[in-house]
Amino acid sequence: MVPEFGGIPTGLPHVSLPQEGLGYYNRIFDMWRRVNAAGNRIVFDFSQCTFLGQNGVAFLGGLARWFERRGGEVAFDWDSLRGNVRMNLAQNGFLSSFEGGVDPWEGNSIPYREDPKLDKDALVDYLANKWLGRDWVHLSDGLRYAVAGKVCEIYVNAFEHSDSRVGVFSCGQHYPNMKMVRLTAVDFGVGIPGNVRLFAGDENIQASSAMKWAFQRGTTTRPGSSGGGVGLDLLKELVRLNEGALQVFSHEGYAVLLSQSERYAARPQYFDGTMVTITLRCDEKYYRLMNERDDEPLF
Amino acid sequence: MKVTVFDLVGANCVTYGDGQKVYDLVHPELQRARAVELDFAGVRVLVSLFLNAAIGRLLEDIAADELNRLLVISNLPPGGLETLKRVIENSDDFYHNPQVREALDRILAEHTAEV
Repeated sequence: MVPEFGGIPTGLPHVSLPQEGLGYYNRIFDMWRRVNAAGNRIVFDFSQCTFLGQNGVAFLGGLARWFERRGGEVAFDWDSLRGNVRMNLAQNGFLSSFEGGVDPWEGNSIPYREDPKLDKDALVDYLANKWLGRDWVHLSDGLRYAVAGKVCEIYVNAFEHSDSRVGVFSCGQHYPNMKMVRLTAVDFGVGIPGNVRLFAGDENIQASSAMKWAFQRGTTTRPGSSGGGVGLDLLKELVRLNEGALQVFSHEGYAVLLSQSERYAARPQYFDGTMVTITLRCDEKYYRLMNERDDEPLF
Repeated sequence: MKVTVFDLVGANCVTYGDGQKVYDLVHPELQRARAVELDFAGVRVLVSLFLNAAIGRLLEDIAADELNRLLVISNLPPGGLETLKRVIENSDDFYHNPQVREALDRILAEHTAEV
């Protein structure tokens, strides 16, 4: 049943939040296709949703704002939320962002966050204190900010290259049983393959090739570039040392970077934008800085 | 001349625009062969885009030997030297080793040809 919501009549196009499991990402991105094809009003229905990870939360929030930015009206069928999903969305602040009322609280969730524009100080605070600075991994201040700076590269890339009209949406989650912490950042911009094709002037470049190119050190689509293309390489290095993971979905392209391997592939579900998820281990022994010798000439 | 980066852009050196502010101060001095110290005391976060704008671009028209002689960089935060070295190496390739870019572009050319 769809409740009356803000004067929006029942019988609107429904977009169901997916169940977890096989095909989860396909169904997450299928929401984009359905929302993109919808008219001016839409209802998000949670009745099939048994779990919504940090990636789904960030994606859903961004999708709703993206639809609103196009002039659409968004409703959420809050009554269809299962208890555990409601609890998660309340804790990470998603509910207060869209419904108001319940203030978020600290738990294993890392707050849902909307960055319409790059606010560097607020972003660094989020990464260094709300994501890494909790008691699940004990890092020195210097190391914590060093890691935050590398993860900042995700956001800088998004704001620099995506042309996302709604900005970037984030959410994180601590998984105590796996001793891992994850962060997802989503934009609804032109996507990595789209940018690379535009830069190269060739619409036939495969998404997987575009992704592979973008992850090589020294590649950038910045107009009139004066170098650049180091940020993703620094992230790869962080993931390698930490034995974590970096997962990137963009258009129909997919990249997964692990400590010992990189894989670039095409996927069946397309969405206009980029979703980046970084997974780091919550164990101090996986965090260290490279040996920083400063007795050599810099240039 | 001494430039205190914290006073210019704050503790978080993130954006290209922040890097441009530093570059605009430092570049003319170095072009006139005057010594410059870039002091990062108080800075917590260094992002590659900032360093590329502030320092990497110096390699476009100033020789590496000159930069080693004239530019002193002090008090980098933990991890900062690693990021800076990557940026400098990358800028050096960009301005002086076009074959590196050509090799990267072949990744695209090869895969386009398969279509």
